[in-house]
Amino acid sequence: MEPLVQFFYILLPFLRDWPEWLALTVIGIVAALLMFGFVAIFALFAIWLERKVSAHMQDRIGPMEVGGWHGWAQTIADTIKLLVKEDIVPENADRILFKLAPAIVFTAALAGFAVLPWTQDFIPADLNVGLLYILSVSSFAVIGILMGGWASNNKWSLYGAMRSASQMVSYEIPVALALLAVVMNAGTLSMRHLVMAQSGNILDWNVFNFFPLTAVAFIIYFVASLAEVNRTPFDLPEGESELVGGFHTEYSGMRFAFFFLGEYANMYVVSAIATTVFLGGWLPPFEFLSFIPGPIWFVGKAMTMVFIQMWLRWTLPRLRVDQLMYTCWKVLTPFSFAIILLIGLWKVI
Amino acid sequence: MSAILQEKETTLYLGPQHPGITGNMMIELKVTGDTIRKATTHVGYLHRGFEKLMEERLWMQCFPIVCRICVPEPDPNEENLARAIEELEGREVPERAKYIRVMMLELSRMATYLLWMGGQSGSAGLYTMPQWTVGDRDYIIDLFEELTGGRVYHMYIWPGGVRRDLPEGFEGRVRKVLDYLEQRLTDYDRLLFENAIFLRRAQGVGILDKDMAMEWGVVGPPLRGCGIAHDVRKDEPYEVYDQLDWEVITHEGSDVYSRAMVRRKEFEQSISIVRQVLDKMPSGPVHNPGPNPLKWRVPAGEAYVKTESARGEFGYYVVSDGSLKPRRVHVRGPAYVHGVSLLERMLVGANIADTSFIMNSLGTCPPEIER
Repeated sequence: MEPLVQFFYILLPFLRDWPEWLALTVIGIVAALLMFGFVAIFALFAIWLERKVSAHMQDRIGPMEVGGWHGWAQTIADTIKLLVKEDIVPENADRILFKLAPAIVFTAALAGFAVLPWTQDFIPADLNVGLLYILSVSSFAVIGILMGGWASNNKWSLYGAMRSASQMVSYEIPVALALLAVVMNAGTLSMRHLVMAQSGNILDWNVFNFFPLTAVAFIIYFVASLAEVNRTPFDLPEGESELVGGFHTEYSGMRFAFFFLGEYANMYVVSAIATTVFLGGWLPPFEFLSFIPGPIWFVGKAMTMVFIQMWLRWTLPRLRVDQLMYTCWKVLTPFSFAIILLIGLWKVI
Repeated sequence: MSAILQEKETTLYLGPQHPGITGNMMIELKVTGDTIRKATTHVGYLHRGFEKLMEERLWMQCFPIVCRICVPEPDPNEENLARAIEELEGREVPERAKYIRVMMLELSRMATYLLWMGGQSGSAGLYTMPQWTVGDRDYIIDLFEELTGGRVYHMYIWPGGVRRDLPEGFEGRVRKVLDYLEQRLTDYDRLLFENAIFLRRAQGVGILDKDMAMEWGVVGPPLRGCGIAHDVRKDEPYEVYDQLDWEVITHEGSDVYSRAMVRRKEFEQSISIVRQVLDKMPSGPVHNPGPNPLKWRVPAGEAYVKTESARGEFGYYVVSDGSLKPRRVHVRGPAYVHGVSLLERMLVGANIADTSFIMNSLGTCPPEIER
C-alpha cells in the first residue's frame, strides 16, 4: 500500500498528523469508494458507448432522447428503472445462492481494480505478485456464475453456467501463458514494475519487444481475454439464440444489473491488464507527450481496447462449443507455449 | 465417468417463446451433453384454420386470407389462388399484368431473402446483419406500399390481372432500389457470407442427403443446395418466366452454407429478373374484369397450380362446385416438410447451438405449417 499512502499524504498533508491506524483506514475506504465510483461510472459510460457503437455500425443512431446530448443519460435512467423493479426470485430457486451470485461476480470484478496502476504513485495496492493476484481474483467470477446458473433452477441457466465455467477455466491457461512471456523478460509480477520496465518511447513497450514474438503473445492474450469476459465471438454462456440468456436468464432488476456491471467492469480489467503488461501502462508513447498525466494515458489505452472489444462484438458471429475448445487447446495454448520457448531461447542466446 | 455422463439424458423445451425460434413453435429436445439425441416438434400455437375458413367465404374474400398464410411473403399465395381461379374460369390475363406479377413475385422473394439473411446471422449471434437487412428490406416494402397501399399484405394480384397499374415514375424508383441493393450485397458478403466464423459454423453443418431430400419432398433453396436443379419457374414456367433470361442456381454441398449461397445468388438473380421485366414491360390494360364479386360463381372443376416462393414450391389445389364459395382450397406449402418432419430428422446428432441455425437455413415458417 506504500505508494498509495504516500500519494494521499502528499495530496492531503493533514493526514500525517492523524494516528496511523485512522489515516490508513480513511485512505483505504476512500480508495475503495473511488474504485467503486469509477466502476459504476465506467459501466454507465461503457453501456452507453456500446449502444452508440452498435447503433452506428447497424445504420442506426442509438439513444438520442434522455439527457439531451446524444442520450448521454440513457443508462442512468435505465439503472434507476432496474433499481425500482420488482425483485423476482423463482419459486424453486435456491434463494441464498441465487441472491449471493451477482454479488460474487461483481466483487470478483471489483477486486481486480485493487492492483491496477493508474500512475506511478496511484496504485491502490502495489503487491509484488499483482499480476498473479489479478489472474486469481478474476477467475473467482466463475464461482458466481456457476452459482447463479445452478441456483436459478433452470436448464438454460445451468447450460450457460456450465459452458461459462468450462470456457473461463480453459481460457485462463492461454491468458496466463501469454502474460508469462512478458513476465519472463521483465522478471517481476508487480504491476508497477512491469510498467516501469517499459519506460522510454513507444518501441520500448512490451508489445514491440522481441518483435514479433510478444506482439503475437499480445494477440493471444487479447483473444483469450475476450473469452474470459464472455464477449463475442465467445459469448456462448449467454448465447441468445441458443440459451435464451444463459446464466442470467432468471435474473431481473438490480441483480441483473450487477451481473451486467460485473461484465463491463471485467471488460475494463482485462483491457487494463493488456495496457499494463503490453502497452506501457501510464507511459506516453513519446517523451514530448509526457506533460499529459499518466491516468489519462492509462484510461485512454484501456478504453481503446474496450472499444475494440465492442467493435468485434458487432462484426463477428458466435463460435460453437467444440470450436471454442479447439481454439483454446489447439491454437492459443500451443502458440503461447511456443512463444515462451522462443523468448527463452532469445534471452539465452 | 464419461460413460455415466453419456447416459444422462435431459429434456429441453426450445420454444414456444425462445429467441432462437422463428415464430411460435416448440421443439422438444432430448440431449446428452450438447448433442441432440431426439427432436420432436410441437406445432399448433398459431393454428387459424385458414383452409376451412375459406370454404365459408366468397371467392374474393379468400384473397385477404391467403396472403396471411406465410407472413413474410404473401405474394406467392395470392398468385397461386388467382391462377387457380383463372384456370377454372379460363379467364385471360393481359400481358402487362403478367409482367407486373413477375415483378411483384421477385420483389417479394428479395424481401423474404433479406429477412432470412437477418434470421440466419442472428441465429449465429451476429446482430448487425438483421439490422442492416431489415432496414434495407424497408425500401422494397416502401415500393409495395406505393403500389398496393399495403406494406406487408398486398392483396394486389387477383383473378384477371392485378389490382391497379404502376404509378407514375414507379419504374425509376424500382431501379433505384435495385441499384442500391446490388451495391449493398458487397457489404453483406463482407459481413456474413465471407466471414470466417460464419463459414466455420455453416460448412458441413446440417447435411441434407441428396437421396433423402428427393424422398422427403424437399423443395426450394434446400433442394437446390443439394445440387438438384429444381425450380418451378423453369420446370413449369408460369406468367412470363420463360421469356426471361435466367438460370436455376444450384450449389453442391448440401449443408447450411450451400443453402445460404443458393439464396444469396438467387437474390442477385432476382435483381436481374426485375430489371429484365422492367425493360420488356409492354403497355396495355392490367386487368381483365370478371363478374360482380358478390355474385361471382366460379365454374365447377378443380385446379392445381404451383408457384416458386422464396421457401420453395407452393402448391394450391382448388375445387369449385360452381357456387359462390370454394368447395375446398388445399395448400401444399414447403414449411410443413421442412419445419416438421425434416427438421426432426436433421437435428438428431446436431449440437444445441446449431438448432436455430439449421432451422433458419431450412426456411421454416410456423404460420405456414399451421395455415
